[in-house]
Amino acid sequence: MNTRPLLTFLALALLPSALCAQPAKAPPPATQAIDVKSGAWEGIVNIDVSVLVPDYREPWNAGQPSGGSGTGFLIGKNRFLTNAHVVSNATRILIRTTNDPEPHPARIVHIAHDCDLALIEAEDSSHFEKLKPLDFGGIPQLNTEVIAIGYPIGGDRISVTRGVVSRIDFRPYSHTSVDSHLAIQVDAAINPGNSGGPVMQEGKVVGVAFQGFSGRVAQNVGYMIPVPVIKRFLKDIEDGRYDHYVDLAASDFPIENPAQAKALGTGSDGVGVMVGDVEPQGSVGDLLKIGDVILSIDDNPVMNNGLVRFEGELMDMNEIVERKFAGDTIKLKYMRDGKKLESTVTLKRFDPYVRLGAQYNQRPRYIVNAGLVFQPLDRNLMDAHQMRDDTVNYVFDNFLTDKLYVERPEPVVLTNVLPDEVNTWITPYAHSIVDEINGVKIKTLKDVETALAKKDKPFIEIILLEKNRPLVLKRELAEAAHKRIMQTYNIMEDSYLGDE
Amino acid sequence: MKFSPIFLFLALGAATLSAQTPETEAPKKKRAPAPAEAGSAPQQVVQNNSLVRVNATSQPYSLHLPWQKESPSSRRGLGVVLAGNRVLVTGQMVADATYIELELPATGQKLPAKVVAVDYEANLALLESAPSDKQKAFFAGLKPMAVDSSTRIDDKVDILQTGRVGELIKSELRISKVMTRRYNVEGSGFLVYEANNIVRSEANSFTLPVVKSGKLVGLLLSYDSKNQVTTILPAPIIEHFLKDVADGSYEGFPSLGMELQTTLDEQFRDFLGLKADAPGVLISMVMKGGSAEKAGMKKGDILVAINGFVIDSRGDYKDPQFGALSSSHLVRGRAYVGDKVEIQVIREGKEVTLKGELTRRKPDDFLVLPYLFDKGPRYVLMGGLLFQELSHSYLDAFGEEQRGGAILRLSRVASHPDKYEGEGRKKLVFLSLVLPTPSAQGYDKLGGQVVNKVNGKAIKDLNDLNEAFKSVKDTTHVIELNDFPHILYLDTTNAANDNKRLLGGAYRIGSLMRLE
Repeated sequence: MNTRPLLTFLALALLPSALCAQPAKAPPPATQAIDVKSGAWEGIVNIDVSVLVPDYREPWNAGQPSGGSGTGFLIGKNRFLTNAHVVSNATRILIRTTNDPEPHPARIVHIAHDCDLALIEAEDSSHFEKLKPLDFGGIPQLNTEVIAIGYPIGGDRISVTRGVVSRIDFRPYSHTSVDSHLAIQVDAAINPGNSGGPVMQEGKVVGVAFQGFSGRVAQNVGYMIPVPVIKRFLKDIEDGRYDHYVDLAASDFPIENPAQAKALGTGSDGVGVMVGDVEPQGSVGDLLKIGDVILSIDDNPVMNNGLVRFEGELMDMNEIVERKFAGDTIKLKYMRDGKKLESTVTLKRFDPYVRLGAQYNQRPRYIVNAGLVFQPLDRNLMDAHQMRDDTVNYVFDNFLTDKLYVERPEPVVLTNVLPDEVNTWITPYAHSIVDEINGVKIKTLKDVETALAKKDKPFIEIILLEKNRPLVLKRELAEAAHKRIMQTYNIMEDSYLGDE
Repeated sequence: MKFSPIFLFLALGAATLSAQTPETEAPKKKRAPAPAEAGSAPQQVVQNNSLVRVNATSQPYSLHLPWQKESPSSRRGLGVVLAGNRVLVTGQMVADATYIELELPATGQKLPAKVVAVDYEANLALLESAPSDKQKAFFAGLKPMAVDSSTRIDDKVDILQTGRVGELIKSELRISKVMTRRYNVEGSGFLVYEANNIVRSEANSFTLPVVKSGKLVGLLLSYDSKNQVTTILPAPIIEHFLKDVADGSYEGFPSLGMELQTTLDEQFRDFLGLKADAPGVLISMVMKGGSAEKAGMKKGDILVAINGFVIDSRGDYKDPQFGALSSSHLVRGRAYVGDKVEIQVIREGKEVTLKGELTRRKPDDFLVLPYLFDKGPRYVLMGGLLFQELSHSYLDAFGEEQRGGAILRLSRVASHPDKYEGEGRKKLVFLSLVLPTPSAQGYDKLGGQVVNKVNGKAIKDLNDLNEAFKSVKDTTHVIELNDFPHILYLDTTNAANDNKRLLGGAYRIGSLMRLE
């Protein structure tokens, strides 16, 4: 088992933030020394994680053992905040404080992959009862100083780095690679292992260090998750469950062209952004149409480039939606054919995009039948199998853009054919999307199970998407071969369909 | 356009070979003390009076900025003199040619030439030079070479090349395999000979003749120096081409327009109701407007014979000359456009005989042009928006790593055109690029979106698009796209002004459209 300090993918060094031991009176001078023995550091802990990375090529196997380490910090009674990517796929979590080498087993309380945050607790809380939780600040201003504290590579004990706030922007979060939220860029040194550590200003936490670029791409660029995103996470889990982000699920296109502005009827005030695409299953799927102009969200005017002035900063209009929860509403003013309209929209999560990003803490789902391996299409699968097939790549890449999820919410791929006498002629058809089995349209993996249970015909007939011949197995031969193949290829269970 | 791989293989072959070929050792042997033989007459240079060097300059149009041409490059090859003072070369030798000349290998005498006939699918071209005294003198010492189609597997043949002063350089090959394969443009397969041996290179890269006993048996298609595998464009295809040219109107090679699936899999055979030893393959696709469809072939038919030749479960027939060979050669290589064809199929358990006439689907009959040589891509520029018709050449110009997003979507249309053809589209018009103009402000990051309608009119090709722009009633052009952001607006007056500015401006645009 190799242990490596954790950092998220693009490069990501995480920003450790130094803990100010000062009571938050005046801002401490930059040169203020901190006494490690004072105990003020104790709330910032090292998190050592043993991981089992699921195997999407042999989904019946346990996966690859691995490990890593990151940082976390106490925010309440036996509650440590860290990054989701630090504790993803964990089989064992140990926390240590900087002054006490004793490892304390811990477990995940809530994990939110879409905003890369997790809350963990020590199995035995007694050791941490005397520690003081860290407090949260707000959004720091540009060019103000912050310190990052954590346990990055280069040593075992706690580390402090210093920098200023460089930029506040809506950014992709690389843990899933499909979610974007507010992120704050700082120029403090960021290194693997800082993940999950606090970034502080005037003794208060203003962010959680989480990602950066590798030195080959850009220098002195680190990102932290700002307090609004953290607060949203903490509020979401108050009811004991994480409900995920909600989304308008509509794409905006700027109104920069004078003819476009005239045709759409927007004025010279620079207010209004065009709707370029709408997801039919999203929150505004029944309301907005392509060519509509969004004028304001919750009375915040939306500019022609999709930005709003919100809490003193120019931000993506989605930031307003971001702060809300499933079931909350927003007030939307929009224009259609020159007419101003207004509507209240109930927000919901938009699920189909989730499979386009990396997913964690999930056992791979699959069905094996007569050596044919069926798995649902998602990013984990694409990465593991390195799919070259044009149709599979098209369906994955255009799952949203061409609204393929409407017809096929969970495309199923024939990922492998484990060679045996019974299936030797169809081995070249691995890496195909399954369209139909025994007359049943395959919309989810569950449909494969239902379809294979149909035994009214002497043949199992599998129709693949855009492959011009059906795959055919004689049922009696396939059934006889199934057990043999399971044994030969060392497969203990012939399917895993999930917990539901 | 896939010329470069072949060129490269040859160049590499030359580099590695020069150190090893027996030729380089020859001088050593000469230096070794040898028993003195009678007299030391100067060694005779062996020449072939049926070969001429061909030098061509090629300059394709730019696919991304279609009003301009790419930089010219030169190609060399060794053409074969045929009857009537014509010279046979490969099609790729003359693709996008701006200037072609013939050169006598021994004397270096040169003569300009032009293309009489070219078939880029069969990769063959015929050159000639306008009659003149110079032309007469040039061909005076040359003798036409006959074409020999009798080659069989295991025959020994020579690839011919010429050295600096025209001396003949032979590389002997043994024909090891005969099969069908796509040549160098999109489309169905043609007959190919495959041979193994080392081929040395004398920089005649784009056409090299292959001969046996002084007769032409083929032209070199490709040489893979790593595996020492040579493929040869064979005499039967050359003869077919020459015969087609000779009758005055060139029709090209016919095809059936269908896709078949092998039936080797016993369980699949049972499923199809095929007996264990019965011949036949499953027809899995019948192309609209093709010969097979016109003859009444249907998807799901079992094809059992074409013109009396039985089709086995691999889709092969027994060729009297070559043995098992893909059934496509029965139509492509052995028949001509306009020939009658008789096809036996099994449909719902009964044998049915289909009769029809062979046709060829021309490049322009495809929604997505399979290839484009010698003429510029069609385009329309409007206020900085560049519209083009999709072609395989355009898609191939993108590397593997650029194939995400829009290119992936367009590639898919190219491989599954049925839906778009079903909508009545003749070509796939798309927004390929946006030049930064005031009227296209805000659109400059777009590219790769399929155009559905302009000013309310459905767009079936670029001519429709041009008409739709002309027929605008309002002061705004409305362009509806198949993809995000789905709708664009252009001010008609501003766009017209930008058009004027673009002509002769920084982008060196000479014309706002090419619709011929």
